[in-house]
Amino acid sequence: MMLTTMRVAFRNISRQKKRSFLLVGAIAFGMLVITLLNALTGGVVENLRVNFSHALGGHVFIIGREFTSSGQVILKIAPDERLDQLLVEHDSVIESLTKRSRTLPTLIFGSKQTMQLMYGVDFLAEDKLLDSLVVTDGSLEHVLEYHDAIILPKPSGERLGVQPGETILVKLETLTGQQNVGEFRVAAFIEDQEQFGISAAYAHRTYLNSLLNLEADEYQVLNMFLTDLAVLEDLARDFRLGLRSPDELEEEFAEVEEEEMGLTVTVGNVPITPTPEPEEIRPWDGTRYEVMHINQIMEPVEQMVGVLNKVALVIFLILLVVTMVGITNTFRMIMIERTREIGTMRAFGMQKGQVRSIFLWEAAFLGILGSLAGVVLGGVIALILGSITFNADPSLQFFLNHGQITFTFAPASIVFNLCLVVFTSLLAAYRPATAAARLSPLEALSSHT
Amino acid sequence: MAIVQLEDVKKIYKLGKTEVHALRGVTFSIAKGDFAALIGPSGSGKSTILNLMGCIDQPTEGVVTIDGKVTHGLSDKALTRLRHETLGFIFQSFNLIPVLNVYENIEFPLLLGKNSMGKQETREWIEYLIEAVGLSDHMQHKSNELSGGQRQRVAIARALVTKPQIVLADEPTANLDSKTGQSILELMRKMNAELNTTFIFSTHDHTIIDIADHVIRLLDGQIVENTRQSAEAGGL
Repeated sequence: MMLTTMRVAFRNISRQKKRSFLLVGAIAFGMLVITLLNALTGGVVENLRVNFSHALGGHVFIIGREFTSSGQVILKIAPDERLDQLLVEHDSVIESLTKRSRTLPTLIFGSKQTMQLMYGVDFLAEDKLLDSLVVTDGSLEHVLEYHDAIILPKPSGERLGVQPGETILVKLETLTGQQNVGEFRVAAFIEDQEQFGISAAYAHRTYLNSLLNLEADEYQVLNMFLTDLAVLEDLARDFRLGLRSPDELEEEFAEVEEEEMGLTVTVGNVPITPTPEPEEIRPWDGTRYEVMHINQIMEPVEQMVGVLNKVALVIFLILLVVTMVGITNTFRMIMIERTREIGTMRAFGMQKGQVRSIFLWEAAFLGILGSLAGVVLGGVIALILGSITFNADPSLQFFLNHGQITFTFAPASIVFNLCLVVFTSLLAAYRPATAAARLSPLEALSSHT
Repeated sequence: MAIVQLEDVKKIYKLGKTEVHALRGVTFSIAKGDFAALIGPSGSGKSTILNLMGCIDQPTEGVVTIDGKVTHGLSDKALTRLRHETLGFIFQSFNLIPVLNVYENIEFPLLLGKNSMGKQETREWIEYLIEAVGLSDHMQHKSNELSGGQRQRVAIARALVTKPQIVLADEPTANLDSKTGQSILELMRKMNAELNTTFIFSTHDHTIIDIADHVIRLLDGQIVENTRQSAEAGGL
């Protein structure tokens, strides 16, 4: 019986082609808007993730810290069996490794100076880095030729008033805390992404290491590119846990115990939180690691995209409400038009519920057809827009993939939106459908429509 | 044996504060296999009686019995089931479902409830009916591709597809020219003879009156004549 009602419902859609087309079109438009916006924001996040990962040199970042005999904490990753073991264990998902040194020096040009995070990188090993940087002035062509080349974020260059080709002074602290100065030749300015917490200058690691008092092949940050980002957080956790030293575990355990045993002082039943004492750094042996991943850096971006997606959802819901009103009115009209037909079907033994089902199936089919049309249309538009290379403002290039907009379709989100459309279509048609089912066969057959 | 029985049936419609007495105590019965005609001028109560026999309306007073079942007090669901299992309908304006083709329109009532026939048997039965009403070449046509006579033939086949005990026909020839009307009547008489289905018409058509086994003449909601004709007299 269900097949019969479905068949009749499906064919009913083709009765008033123009009307059905308009309804399907309205639903398709709403679906198109939400699908494209979701795909666009998804693509932007994806592009930012890719571009950020190249700028930062990986998806997972491991920083090593050592406590020296002179009581200083220095950034350095020394040969470590635990780290090597973990790298071997996760070899199948690690696409490549990059090793960087980093410092926060003062850049000086003439009488002007500014502070800037600076990475020492192996440009040959990190072949994708130069591609991902968005140059606003100068050129990256000669970076490999000059051992003292530096790539500066545009705002730093502007603050210093320097031009590509000119030389700046870099004042930094060596690992052991001594002041050191080096000269760097400005190769190019790049687009800054400070709003997302990424603003770095890049130089050759070997040269920067020489100024930091590190050996040429030593490094401070180990970055990993993964083959599959789905395992990103699990892998970061594995490294975090695997790289914890026994004394770190003891410290964590002691902290938990202190918290559990801590007495709360109350004054008039109001708990008084004691003023925390300044934390004292306890010495440790070997290297302590800090493991971070790209998703932590992407959090502000994803929050922003989340807001955008919510705005898109609100627009979509408004469109759905408008469409719902259209569907309700159309189904009221359909009910009037088909009154006699309803009477005939009831006379031949169709139960009330079956009459309602026909109307509801019709609404569901309209919803499904509209949604699918919207998704297909969205796919076509995305395909067209995605094939165009935009000569956009450099600040926008970080959102694009080599100048092209990327659309990332999330099947779960599409299915959710489709279900939402079908549900609202059913909701809109429910009252007219129930009214049709409640028509008495006598009334319906006496109708002149 | 009576397949339809009405006992002192009254039907009053309320139009605002006015009461319209459509039936004023009607009593009659129709035997199984009859080819019966309800005749009378407009407003005499023919359609009201057909509606009561078709279980799409209830009497204000009196008892309507269809195939041994009293319709009064039955739920909407039970009445719908009774209509599906016992009754077939032929309407003056055919009332075919426009989105379905000839075969599907005829098949439609079978899909609304229990069907004791197997798939193959159902197909053969529908094809037999289509052939019997002379529409074998139009099986895939939609109703808007058929003439009035052809549509009424589809309606006859549709009314008979569930093998009902009774077919109720509301002025089945009123929208047809006389030649087509005649052929439709012949067809119904043939099906009546072949399947022993009881046909009950409301009509003004004298051709039907001439061939009917049983004629009930109504005037102002009352029976003024209730005549059973001999089988010979009722032949075409």
